[in-house]
Amino acid sequence: MAVLNRMDWYDLARSTNWTPSYVSEDELFPPKLSGDFGLPQNAWEKYDEPYKQTYPEYVKVQREKDAGAYSVKAALERSRIFENADPGWKSVMKAHYGAIARGEYAAASAEARMMRFSKAPGMRNMSTLGCLDEIRHGQMQLYFPHEHVAKDRQMDWAFKAYDTNEWAMIAARHFFDDIMMTRDAISVSIMLTFSFETGFTNMQFLGLAADAAEAGDHTFANLISSIQTDESRHAQIGGPALKVLIENGHKAEAQKRVDIAVWGAWKLFSVLTGPIMDYYTPLAHRKQSFKEFMEEWIVAQFERALTDMGLDLPWYWDIFLNDLSQTHHGMHLGAYYWRPTLWWNPAAGITPDERAWLEQKYPGWNDTWGQCWDVFIDNVVDGNMEKAYPETLPAVCNMCQLPILGTPGKGWNVKDYPLEYNGRLYHFGSEVDRWVFQQEPERYAGHLSIVDRFLAGMIQPMDLNGALHYMNLAPGEIGDDAHNYAWAEVYRAMRAAKKAS
Amino acid sequence: MALFPLLSNFEGDFVLQLVAVDTENTMDEVAAAAAVHSVGRRVRARPDCIMRIRRQGSEDFLPRTMKVSESGLKPTETVEIIWEAARH
Ligand SMILES: [Fe+2]
Ligand SMILES: [Fe+2]
Repeated sequence: MAVLNRMDWYDLARSTNWTPSYVSEDELFPPKLSGDFGLPQNAWEKYDEPYKQTYPEYVKVQREKDAGAYSVKAALERSRIFENADPGWKSVMKAHYGAIARGEYAAASAEARMMRFSKAPGMRNMSTLGCLDEIRHGQMQLYFPHEHVAKDRQMDWAFKAYDTNEWAMIAARHFFDDIMMTRDAISVSIMLTFSFETGFTNMQFLGLAADAAEAGDHTFANLISSIQTDESRHAQIGGPALKVLIENGHKAEAQKRVDIAVWGAWKLFSVLTGPIMDYYTPLAHRKQSFKEFMEEWIVAQFERALTDMGLDLPWYWDIFLNDLSQTHHGMHLGAYYWRPTLWWNPAAGITPDERAWLEQKYPGWNDTWGQCWDVFIDNVVDGNMEKAYPETLPAVCNMCQLPILGTPGKGWNVKDYPLEYNGRLYHFGSEVDRWVFQQEPERYAGHLSIVDRFLAGMIQPMDLNGALHYMNLAPGEIGDDAHNYAWAEVYRAMRAAKKAS
Repeated sequence: MALFPLLSNFEGDFVLQLVAVDTENTMDEVAAAAAVHSVGRRVRARPDCIMRIRRQGSEDFLPRTMKVSESGLKPTETVEIIWEAARH
């Protein structure tokens, strides 16, 4: 029997829609879940996905991808790459797996919402594959770290992190709950696939794959580039939905969803990817600075994706471009200074050579961020370690849940962005975070940040031990300097040389 | 006498921090409590200066002897701690 070419039947097959007669259209596609924006089924039938794949094709390609990634892992299992890796690189893996693996599983349910409730048949097909992608990503990123759990207890956080009240995890959940777990199908396609995946996952997955290959970790490099090939396919689910919305007069709603999701994604990447690229990855293995990656992937490519779509740049684009060279330095300094609250051991990344690199990539670094680090380095060199750990909590933003910070030292510009709403005083880390809250206050108002929880007495005893307990950080898991402060030797030697001269 | 949380925005530091003070504390005592978490940790001490408190957005310092209970500050409001050259 002759088999038809895919293009001879795909369009017809995938748009074979039911015309419901036993239930109303609203019962079949409850507006709250489908997010139809008041448009009837036939408006959504115009949704035209740029990437067409059938289920048999999908299975064939995915099987090959899995075979590739798993065979690299099997071949290198005895290579002791993990044991011999720079501790900074191990921290990259721990941070990545903990922050990402279970979020991938959660993303499967977001894809499933589009699969079931979208009125666009093409979207239902693409997100069926997308859902399977995300299950695959969850499974792989739990299976691959598992071989290291017996060697290093922090690796257990690949699975554990998502269920904890660790502060970075609260931040990640707050963001993902907002853009993918509690939105209708169309909003998920805009906020998760178009904004987060098109815009940002390239950064984490391709950027990190490049650094991993440089660091000799081919298992990790292969794993995450294999994942990225799925992401770049299902990331295209949102584009055609935006087109339908814009053509039918709903540009403003579409733009708002993009603006909200892009900002949240940026904040999350500033704490996860920024420190990894500019501080944890050993100097010799750094391909580009975080800012250079952002400029290539977000500023050059995503900007074009937005304007091609007929959307505007987010209203805060100037703020964003300016923050590209500041925010992640603060996220690193904050995560590092509060390092007992991490499930990985952050690398300080501030030897004289590394500082020279930072100064070159971020002119003015020494006069600003370097000023804070100077005091910290002196404490470590002097053995004054009680001053090298925190004794209180940083204030965190009631939107992104990350520390409220700004540029220190000679460029000091730290600022709170407060808002009183229904008698409660909220704090935000930027004008944009506050703006997001104001778009739909009731959506966010009930959430308690880690600081709100502390002040409400939910963290007992009210000290660091109580906080660590609340965050589920057990002994052997709490973070400390990745290199056990070995970098301080260089500064000790410099001081001795100065004295001698 | 009651515990009173404020957010400290210390000149030269990079992050807002939670500081617990008492309603009976003076502004000088608030500054000292905030300094514990910044000075000698990420900000160098400045022996030639004293530390003054102001509301965010205001140019004027609150009087050094003013008590928290008299200041009108709200719980968790952000105060700026600013170095001021000491008069000799
Ligand atoms: Fe994924
Ligand atoms: Fe995805």
